[in-house]
Amino acid sequence: MKTVLEARDLSVERSGKRVLDGVSFSVTEGEVFALLGGNGAGKSTTLLTFLGFLPPVSGLVQVNGKAPAEDIAAARRAIAYLPEAATLYGHLTARENLRYFLSLARMRPQAEPIEAALDQVSLQPDARGRQLSSYSKGMRQKVAIALALLREAPILLLDEPTSGLDPVAIDEFHGLIRLLAGAGRSVLMVTHDVYGACQVAGRIGLLRHGQMVGSFTAPAGGRIETEAVHAAFAGRVPA
Amino acid sequence: MSVLLTLAAGEWRFWLRSRLVLAGFIIMACVLAVTSLVTVTRIDAVQKQRLEHQVAAEERFLAQPDRHPHRMVHYGHYAYRAPGPLAIIDPGVDRVTGQSIFLEGHRQNSAMFAETRSGAVLGRFVELTPAVAYQVLAPLLLIILGHSLIIREREAGTLAPLLAQGVRPVAMLGGKALALASVILAMTVPLMLLAVRATLNGESAASAFNLVGAYTLYLLIWGGLILLVSTLARHRGIALGILAAFWVISTIIFPRLAASYASVTYPAAGKIETDLMMARDIREVGDGHDASAPTHDHLREQLLSDYGVARVEDLPVNFRGMVALASEEKLTRLLNQYADDQMLREQQQAALVHRFGWVSPFIALGNASRALAGSDLAGHHRFLREAEALRFSFVQGLNTAHAHDLSYADDANRNRDDAAMQQARVSAENWKVLSDFRFTPSPPEDRLKAATPFLMMLTVWAAGMLAVLGLAAGRLRP
Repeated sequence: MKTVLEARDLSVERSGKRVLDGVSFSVTEGEVFALLGGNGAGKSTTLLTFLGFLPPVSGLVQVNGKAPAEDIAAARRAIAYLPEAATLYGHLTARENLRYFLSLARMRPQAEPIEAALDQVSLQPDARGRQLSSYSKGMRQKVAIALALLREAPILLLDEPTSGLDPVAIDEFHGLIRLLAGAGRSVLMVTHDVYGACQVAGRIGLLRHGQMVGSFTAPAGGRIETEAVHAAFAGRVPA
Repeated sequence: MSVLLTLAAGEWRFWLRSRLVLAGFIIMACVLAVTSLVTVTRIDAVQKQRLEHQVAAEERFLAQPDRHPHRMVHYGHYAYRAPGPLAIIDPGVDRVTGQSIFLEGHRQNSAMFAETRSGAVLGRFVELTPAVAYQVLAPLLLIILGHSLIIREREAGTLAPLLAQGVRPVAMLGGKALALASVILAMTVPLMLLAVRATLNGESAASAFNLVGAYTLYLLIWGGLILLVSTLARHRGIALGILAAFWVISTIIFPRLAASYASVTYPAAGKIETDLMMARDIREVGDGHDASAPTHDHLREQLLSDYGVARVEDLPVNFRGMVALASEEKLTRLLNQYADDQMLREQQQAALVHRFGWVSPFIALGNASRALAGSDLAGHHRFLREAEALRFSFVQGLNTAHAHDLSYADDANRNRDDAAMQQARVSAENWKVLSDFRFTPSPPEDRLKAATPFLMMLTVWAAGMLAVLGLAAGRLRP
């Protein structure tokens, strides 16, 4: 399988403080990789480094075999990024948000694929013409996922995607992630939700204070065992 | 649609859906419409009124019957300063300096010696005109509209996904700048209409174009500053605070600081001091009404010698008229010296204030605007000089008639009885020495030359802003 994202011995500093320290992992085509860690572990920093917003102080970071700084436009074209809290415009409707973002991605937004993407994320048709300021967090998240679908980017970077969602919305979201991975998209998801990570990820990396302290791989045809990951996450057993 | 246009259109959609911003738009539109209408109406009325007064004053002067010429010297005349066509945008110093001067013999332009210690105070905020609306209020609307251009995206978290999906920082700033520039363009529409109206009323298209250009450049500088602060500040409140502080410093503090600094650096004498000094000097010149005063002895000796006679009664010219001519000339020279000193002092003060344009675009624009509209201090000084030239011309014309058309004997005996009084008159034809006076703005090329330093300041501000924005774009991070 082709490696689409790779961090090798990656170290990053923010405001003079080392936030990532010698982190290594990779994500292959069609894989869901979850980076698990508590607050301040360096999860979001990892995503921003792949996006080229933060330069590594040492080590290597690559998107499709190239450092983002080498061809920032190509790296960002290949990635659909969903920040925490589905940051979209509250004064625009779901359709307007999608059209706006797609236009800025130099795509030609057509009504039919937009409706199809919104169908795919199960956003109620009567909500699609309403401004997002009236949406719940789960509904906003669906619009953000629809945007990622429409972008047709082969790589998805998700920052705490299920934070604040209710259980039903979380289940729907996990279903969507599996669907995307099944369609060949690669997903790098950073989260502190152990259960959610075990539900969708083929591999999990455990990040603590900027260092990769453990990893878990799902058995063939199965899922990663939640209890083992939870124990390692809580520091009860070595990862 | 290009990325720039999409971003600009997105910003417009946000503004149109924001009640606060819409309220700002409506208020600004009303302010511009009202100030434009009120100023146009006022300046039109003033122009018409002053022209009518000027014509009436000339007709009244010419309609005077045969009289002793010196009575006409004291009858006097008025000179009115009619505002130029671009005064509908910027009336400038008109309200501060007054607009008419009473012209008579032995006295000069009393407006010059009014209680104004500082020429630098001229041109301050006195009424709400389009110039004030654009110079002072328009930046406030731009601050309301634009302070959150970038910061809003950062605070809402939308900046990261926008940049992450390939929107370049330069394009991001360019799109936002385009949105703000389109607002500025819309705001200048009333200004353009006023400029067109001024052109139809005889103003040169070049002056009108330069004036609109200067205001547009000023607003673009503000737009650039707002975008810069919105890019660099971390919070909306901080951006708003910085911009509000710059507005206060640039439009309120610096102009007053500059005026005070100029007054202290080049202090001008007040009315009482000036009057006392002038009275002392005038005494030395002598009284032109008293031909027997010792101050005129030299003139008497000179004339007697020139004409080879022994008594003033034998001179072929009226000695009293000759005294009036010579005395007026000496007195005018003295008064001109005072006027020149005062004007020089005011020019020095103004020149010092002008330098503050390097630190305040408000000062630079104000000076450029008044210079292009012909309503600046230099225009006022020119009016004073032209009015003085008119005064000197008709007074000396009358004194010449006094010297040549009225005999010394008739003049000396005029108070003897009514018949003598009748005899001591000259024909009303002599009143035609009065020239028509129509004050018009200086030629457009002169006004452009006067405005060039200030336009240069604005250009440097704009170029600097553009360069800093380019650097800021490179630092744009989510």
